[in-house]
Formats: sequence, C-alpha cells, structure tokens
Amino acid sequence: MRNKILLISMLFICMSCKGNEVPEPQPTVSYTLCNSQATAETQQLWDVLCAQYGKKAVSGVVANIDWNTREAENVYQWTGKYPALNVFDFINIHASKDVNPQGWLDYSDMTPVTDWFNAGGIVGCMWHWQVPANNGTNMTCSPGNAPGETSFDASKINDPNSDEYKRMVKDIDQVAGYLKKMQKLGIPVIWRPLHEAAGNSTEFVGGKAWFWWGAKGAEVYKQLWRFMYDRLVNYHKLNNLIWVWTSQINDDEWYPGADVVDVVGRDNYYALQYPLAKEYKLLSTTYPNKLITLAECGNGDDVDMSLWSDIWAEGSRWSWFMTWYDYNYNNGTSDEHQFAGEAWWNNAFSCGFVLTRDEVKRLMK
Amino acid sequence: MGYGLRVIGICVLCAVSAAVCTLSATERTILIGPKTIGRAWKDNIVLEARHFADAQAGDVLTVYNDHAKRTAQGAFQNPTNWQGVAPEYAYFGINGPFRMTLTDDIIRIAREHGIAIGGHDYRITQVTLSNATDYKETIVWRGPSVMMKNDWSVNAEVPGKAFASLRQGDAIRFHISKTQAGAAMKLSDMTWNVLDPSVDGVPVGGDNYTWYVTDQAPILKLQLAGNTMNTAMRVGGKGYCLDKIGLVQFIGEISEDYSQAQRAPKEYVLQAGEIFHGEKQFPNDWNGNLRITAAPFQKCTENDVLIISYVIDPNAEAAGITPQLSLREGRNWTEITGAPEPIYYRLDGNDVVYVFDAVALDQVKTRGFILTGVGFTLTKIELISAQ
Repeated sequence: MRNKILLISMLFICMSCKGNEVPEPQPTVSYTLCNSQATAETQQLWDVLCAQYGKKAVSGVVANIDWNTREAENVYQWTGKYPALNVFDFINIHASKDVNPQGWLDYSDMTPVTDWFNAGGIVGCMWHWQVPANNGTNMTCSPGNAPGETSFDASKINDPNSDEYKRMVKDIDQVAGYLKKMQKLGIPVIWRPLHEAAGNSTEFVGGKAWFWWGAKGAEVYKQLWRFMYDRLVNYHKLNNLIWVWTSQINDDEWYPGADVVDVVGRDNYYALQYPLAKEYKLLSTTYPNKLITLAECGNGDDVDMSLWSDIWAEGSRWSWFMTWYDYNYNNGTSDEHQFAGEAWWNNAFSCGFVLTRDEVKRLMK
Repeated sequence: MGYGLRVIGICVLCAVSAAVCTLSATERTILIGPKTIGRAWKDNIVLEARHFADAQAGDVLTVYNDHAKRTAQGAFQNPTNWQGVAPEYAYFGINGPFRMTLTDDIIRIAREHGIAIGGHDYRITQVTLSNATDYKETIVWRGPSVMMKNDWSVNAEVPGKAFASLRQGDAIRFHISKTQAGAAMKLSDMTWNVLDPSVDGVPVGGDNYTWYVTDQAPILKLQLAGNTMNTAMRVGGKGYCLDKIGLVQFIGEISEDYSQAQRAPKEYVLQAGEIFHGEKQFPNDWNGNLRITAAPFQKCTENDVLIISYVIDPNAEAAGITPQLSLREGRNWTEITGAPEPIYYRLDGNDVVYVFDAVALDQVKTRGFILTGVGFTLTKIELISAQ
C-alpha cells in the first residue's frame, strides 16, 4: 500500500514537470544580499523572501501613480485581504512639497509608508525618473528629440562638470533622503530603479529603449546603475535596500552585475501562463543565484493575464508579483480594473500559492 | 397677368420647389451596424469612398453607438496609414454619438480611400452623413482672444449667458487660431472640474474644434451659473488661441432611405472551440491578415488540431490569383513550423487542417499566430483538442 502511494506520488510529480519543465529553485543555492552591511530588518525580510521562494509568491501592487496605497485598498475591498507588498513610485519627486512650494504631494511625509509598514506590509519603491523635456516645461522619462521627449544624456554620469551629472546627483540625493527616512524608521525597501532599460531593443530589429536611462546603450546604463548603487549604499550609507534589476529578456549585456543586484525582475503585460513560465525558466537559468520576480504584470492590450493558479500550475515560481494600477478605475471613471480586477485577485488569494499581508506579517515575527 | 406669364410663373415655382426639395436638409444613413470595436485598437470599419462623392466642407459625419465603456475611445483614420484624418480625430473620448466635421483635406482622403472608424470598447450601430446646411451656428462669445500657453496655465472664462439656449444634441464650436503641434483643449466647469471625459485634454487642430453635447450632465453644469455673467465654462489647454465660441444646432431632417447604405459584416458570437467566426476578407494584394493571440492555446498539447474554413473569392481565378494561406509566428512573421521559408497552403475549397507539432505548439502558446493569404474570405477557425 505504501509503495503504491509512493508510485502515484512520483507519477504526479512527473506529470507536474511536463509542459515547460521549469526547474524548481534549488534549496542548495544560497541567496545572499549584495550589501554585507544590510540592516537586520532588511536581512530578515530577505530571509523570508528566500525561505518562501519556490513555495509561495508574495502578492503585491503598485501605488496609484506615486505615494499611496490606493490599489492595496482595492484588493482589500474585493477579497477582504491586503496584498503583502505595496510599491511606491518616486515618479513625481520634482513636485514634492519639500522641494517645490507649488508641488501637489509630499514624499517627505512618510505617513503612507509607515502606515503600510506598521500594518505588516512590505515596502517597495520604484522610480520613473523624470527629467526636463526638450520643451523646457514638461517632465518626462521618454527619450527622443520631440518637444515632449527628452534628449537627456545618461552618459554624462561620467562628466561631473555637466549639467546632466549635477541633475542626476541632485535627484539621486533627493530620493536618498526619503529612503534614509525609511531606514531610520527601521523599514527595509525592495528597491527597483532604472527598470526596463533595454526597452524592446533586444526583442526585434528596430526595437529601442523607451526610457532615457537606456537610450545610450547597455554600457552607459550599467555605469549609471553602478553609480547609483555606489551613491546610495556607500555614500549615503543606505543599508535597507534590496536591489531589483528588471530584465527585458535576452538582455544579459544590460545586467549591471551580480555584486550590485539582489533580485532579477521581469515586467510582463502579455502575462499568459505559458510564456511566463518560459521567461521564468530562462531567467532562473541565466541568473541561478538570484531570486526571480514578476516585478510588474497585468492584463495587456491583447490578452488578459492568466489566473495565478494557472501561472503557478504551468511551473512559474516568481518570488513575488506586482500588478499595475488603473488610474481611471481609481478615479471612478471606469467600472472595471484594466490590469487585475476582483476575479483575478480572488483566484490569487484562494489558490494556495500566494501570501497575503497578514501571512507575511506572521512570517516576519 | 397674361396666360404666357402665368405659365412661366408656374414653371418657375415648380423649379424652385424642386430645388428646395433637392436641397432639403437631411441626415442620411451611410452605414448600418452593428460593428463591434473591441479592445486594444484592433477593430475598425472603413466607410466606402462612394459615400463622400458629393460631400462638402462643413458636412458632418455622425457615429451612433452603444455598449461603450466609460474609457472607450473613437478615431477617424486614413485607411492607408491608420493615422488620424486630422490631429483632433486621432483619438477622443466617447460619450454618446460622436461626430466629425468634414474639411476639404478630410474629403480628399475620404474620396480616395474612404474613412476608417476605429478606437476601442464600443459598438457602432449606425453612421450618418448630414449637410453643413443642416446646422445653424450662433456666435455666443467673441473674445477677446486668449492664447493658451504650453504649460496649461491659461484659461478663458465664458459666462453663463453664452449657454442659456444650449440643448442636448447641440454642439459648441470653438474657433481657434495659431494652432501648434500637440495643441490640446480642456473644458472645465465653474468649479474647475472637467465638464466631460471627452474634453479632458482633447487634441485640437485646424481652425475649430466642435464638441457635440450628447449628454445632459454637462449642460446642467454649464447652466448652473444661470443666464448671467458668472463664469460657467473655463476653456483651457495648450498651444492654440481661442477666438470665438458658437452654439451649433441641427435643423435638418433624418432620412429613412437606407438604399445606399453600406452594411457592416455580420457579427457572430464565438461558440466553444471557435477562435474566429466571421467574414474576414483576404484580398488579392496580400494586405489581409488576422492576428490570433496566444490566449486560446495556453492549455493546448501536441496533436491538437486547427481547422480553418473559408470561401474562395469567385473572382480570384479571373484575376490570375491562386487562393492560398500561410500561418506565421505571432511577432516576427516567421513560418509557424520553424521552417526557414514560409509555407503556403493552396486552397481547393476544403478546410485547411493543421496539426500542431512541438515547434508550432510552442510558437502559438508563446505568441499566437498570424494568418495571411490571398483570394478568399475566412469564415471560421476552430481548435480541436486531441485529447
């Protein structure tokens, strides 16, 4: 009888290996933070992420544009549970009241972050790093020569006398101030700057970077990443950051290096279970010593995202996922969430492979 | 009056009456739906060029629609390059019927190529064309002109009395000049709230922008200010100069003659196992193609079968065309089997049956496929599970 059960179990395991045959994260692999000076809180969060990797995914949402937990509230309304991770975006630091009297938000007010953290949530930050557009009026991330785009040159990170260098350092230092406040409050941060740098340049002939930090190519991009790492970690002594680099697939030449990256992420809005599993397999094979995460996801123009139960069944073992915000839904001008709505989240929380905020809170104790 | 003079008088009267009858203002239907414009800007329908043979500048194209999501957008496009026929028609919000006032430039495109109606998340029920003479404009605000700076900081304040006679179905025409590339208009009410999602930063170009007020809500907001000098509307935006505002009212009649109307292709509801059902033409110039996403194939396995049904174009042979189709990978148009050169299936009237091997299965599960070909009308694609 025991042998038969074992046989059936083995058969089940073999069947579940079919399809993409995605490798499970190896328990023998030791995932370590790049920063050996990481704070105790950061190390604790890292340990939880590593312990759960391959077993369950940490659920996450991005803020509604910038500095709030609006999307997390949506999830709570739909499911009665909060996602574990809320990612804030420094997209509008130029309009923060601590640096701009005419600003419309205040990144120096840590209330949204501390409220979230104190409730047991994991804090993440990303940065749609806007610089002045060519028209001298707007702020933008989009490279190009049109009035609304920017010809901001990231390679000037090597020229301390240039205006661009001074601008970049000033912006990094401003962000460092907010991150340092979090460090002082004992808040570890999943930090994902300079994302999607390769754009679609590695995807097809004629593809290009869609953010200015990738517009000057891989080498400049890596220099900028390492400059930022050095400025934040060594200069500002920020030891509360878990560094996430975002791959655009087949863009290893853009990888800043194992010594300055803790997690490799992927943003995907063609988030069907099969291609996701292929991408997970590719990334986990290419970067076997790094956690692999679905850093952004949601319904795309063409397809609705697969249910999390299907994504997991196909073999993906993303460390966490983060669904994107819907401004129109949050603004009351759309009846359905564009990226991940009620049905999707209810499936995620009921499939048995996703951690909620309360569950993460218990694991952090 | 002598007999001869009387006869001449009657003849003149008849001629005048006939002329009046011929010129009587009517809104005539040129397309009968339904035509669903689904998500992601993938759907469109081209209004045939013949409808615009007698069109004149100032004539108005109206698209009646239903099932519009609140985030739905419309577009009037040039079918040859899919660009907006004018900047302000590249995309715009939808809230009820939407319209386009024809210009000489637009008519030139329409007569040569027709006009495509696109966008996302709504359904066209009917399209009509009405004459410029069907509309009467009354100028209700004469400036002084206001130049909208590029930083959106300038607003023109329009008093309530300008909109005292505004009724649902009327239009407000904003006469503009010095229009720059990227110009946009934002219309707010007295409390600085946007009047309607369709006028929240809408692109503007040329010498006017006409907002057809199809909903009662913005009228109530405008008329809250009363018939007074109190501000009722704030006209803002960037990159243009506002000179005048007029109220436009339809004074014509609606024709019930549908004999010249174009019919939208019949729409079908997909049944289980169907991934396409309709009438998709693949003309003789290789411009026809259909993209199927990877979504229907996520749980497919090897040896699952695709059945492609079609009707051969009866004119293909006379035109020297061999009806054929080809299946390509969904992104790079490479052959779905992985072969270096495309494979073409000659069509003999029987369904094309395609069995997925490992390579093709991986392709369709990852990126879907594109069906391309010539000389037939695609009617159905079914997916049959081998299991």
